[in-house]
Amino acid sequence: MKNFFIILITKILYIILKIAGKNGGNFLGKLAYDWNSNIFHYFKIDCPIIAVTATNGKTMTNNAIGYVFKTADKKVISNIEGNNMETGILSTLLKSCSLTGKIKADYCVFEVDEGYIPIIFKDLKLDTLVILNFFRDQLDRNGEVESLILKINEFLKNYTGNLILNADDPNVARLGMANSENNNVYYFSVDQYDYATKDIKEAGEGKFCPFCNTRIEYEYYQYSHIGKFKCPNCGYGDNEIYKFATNVDLKNRCFNIDDITYQIRFNSIYNIYNFVAVITCASLYNIDKEIVRQALSEFVLNNGRLEELEINNIPTIINLAKNPTGANVSLRILNEDDSEKELLFVLNDNIADGFDVSWIWDINFDTLNNVTRIITSGTRAYDIAIRIKTSGFSPKKIEPYLDLSDAVKNLYKTDTKKYVIANYTSLQPTRKEILNFNQ
Amino acid sequence: MKELKILYLYPDILELYGDFGNIQVLRYRLEQRGIKAIIDSYSIGDIAPDFTKYDLVFAGGGADQEQGILSQDLLKHKDNIKKAIDDGVFFLLICGAYQLFGKYYKGVEGNIIPGLEIFDYYTEAIEDRKKRCIGNIVIEANLNGNPTKIIGFENHGGQTYGVSSPFGNVLFGNGNQFGALDEGFFLNNVIATYLHGPLLSKNPELTDFIIKYCLDRKYDENITLEDLDDTFENQCREQLLYRFLNVS
Ligand SMILES: [Zn+2]
Repeated sequence: MKNFFIILITKILYIILKIAGKNGGNFLGKLAYDWNSNIFHYFKIDCPIIAVTATNGKTMTNNAIGYVFKTADKKVISNIEGNNMETGILSTLLKSCSLTGKIKADYCVFEVDEGYIPIIFKDLKLDTLVILNFFRDQLDRNGEVESLILKINEFLKNYTGNLILNADDPNVARLGMANSENNNVYYFSVDQYDYATKDIKEAGEGKFCPFCNTRIEYEYYQYSHIGKFKCPNCGYGDNEIYKFATNVDLKNRCFNIDDITYQIRFNSIYNIYNFVAVITCASLYNIDKEIVRQALSEFVLNNGRLEELEINNIPTIINLAKNPTGANVSLRILNEDDSEKELLFVLNDNIADGFDVSWIWDINFDTLNNVTRIITSGTRAYDIAIRIKTSGFSPKKIEPYLDLSDAVKNLYKTDTKKYVIANYTSLQPTRKEILNFNQ
Repeated sequence: MKELKILYLYPDILELYGDFGNIQVLRYRLEQRGIKAIIDSYSIGDIAPDFTKYDLVFAGGGADQEQGILSQDLLKHKDNIKKAIDDGVFFLLICGAYQLFGKYYKGVEGNIIPGLEIFDYYTEAIEDRKKRCIGNIVIEANLNGNPTKIIGFENHGGQTYGVSSPFGNVLFGNGNQFGALDEGFFLNNVIATYLHGPLLSKNPELTDFIIKYCLDRKYDENITLEDLDDTFENQCREQLLYRFLNVS
């Protein structure tokens, strides 16, 4: 009875919030969770639940899976705004359920924070778990990545649902061994692309074999520690691949899987991995390949994740970077583009960013390709300016501005193509400032 | 062409919090002045280096769980390290490396990780694993008689006691323990500190103090270092000192 009232009250509040033009974020979920932390039990969900987790790329992949399923005329419930902790998922369920807690949908697709998988799916039956990558985040730079992986590994020991894993991340692929009874482990991989390297180019995590502690050997690195690896001692890394992307062509934004060419709207190796995960997932639910192809050719995400804009006719690419890998991915795209360009880097150190900005020293600013000017901004505009200068980029071509609107104004003094990298709390203010500048 | 030989210890293990940036800053400030920076690294499994052959030895911070493995390896070089310090080789030690040059590190479970015992300070982990000294920090150090504000970022659970000659007085932040008055350890040619940031990125006076020491020792001179364009560093310091200390 109690749960019925919790749902009734949150639903009334939701209506009030909607009238007030607010979304509510985690608020409804937090309210319900504080009232009864076992409320997840109460929901009656008959459809498959799909969850996506990773350090980077959760929102992109979650939304792409949802978009593919919707294109196939399925009813999807999803936390598309990226509220990915238990209260966020709860908010999504509360908004979509009936008063008796019934969820009417064909699929629930959730992005879930890496730390919350064991908590949320203790009480909700998970049908498919997609794991993309594990990188060092700015907040937990104290060897916490390993303890996070161990927690998920523990959860997976009793899990027999579909498990979609990135075979090219040694931190992820190891989770396929968590439960030897689970026959539903599916690995995806991407063939060596044009800018893959023999040596690691950016800071990475998976240096030692998780099973025998031997140093892992790589045939090539795609980006960071993602690549074709193998343990020379115990052979870890030699997994059977379920979906393998080949002929990756970032200039033309396409790749092949099973003789189908997928055209996408993004030009980064990092996104190819996300989309191969999406294709793997769609395949497990028998979504028509032609529909998947069609959906991926249309899919975009207008929220500052590799968002492409024209500002006063000047091409502008905005990307979020909340950790070194995110920033390195953006710089890869920049360096793979030969045209002349200018960069705006916005760095804040607010609570949600983490107060420690030393992670910028793990960004590879060496040999920037045809960058003629760099503007820095945010509460740590000078820190990032010093970082870039120290990598060898001429300080005469670096302009720091603490004030974001000054930074944007000065960025658009020239009509050279713009790349914009912004960290967590600076992304939306930067995006807004840039959009405002468009006449 | 003048040159400085730098030994970078355990770069693949002590690689948290961007401490590698200190090496980059040193290299940058040397090369801008036409001085060659020779940077060798040493890690577990490599041939033992002769520490006395270097002008500067650097080691950074790592994850707590790796302290034990490092201690075992480092102890093998104890005599050579001691000799290098006595000879006057400059040692810059951050966080985990700072702790390992003391008597011991006592973990949460009471386990003792032996240090090199070159200095007589010691470190004890705080019982509550979640409690750490984390945040921006400003200290005042005395560099050749010049009081100098040093800006960094601390992130340590270990509480260091028994420091006879600290690196500086804490103006903002914690220091050697929660709410401590002093931070780090500084004796002649050794600076050991909890300051990340990376430390040298925002403290050009400190970097130049170390560079001058190494050059003077190596070339037996009293060099006046050529000024560099430190506009960004000065702007950064001004902004942060105002923010943390409310002074300009
Ligand atoms: Zn192995």
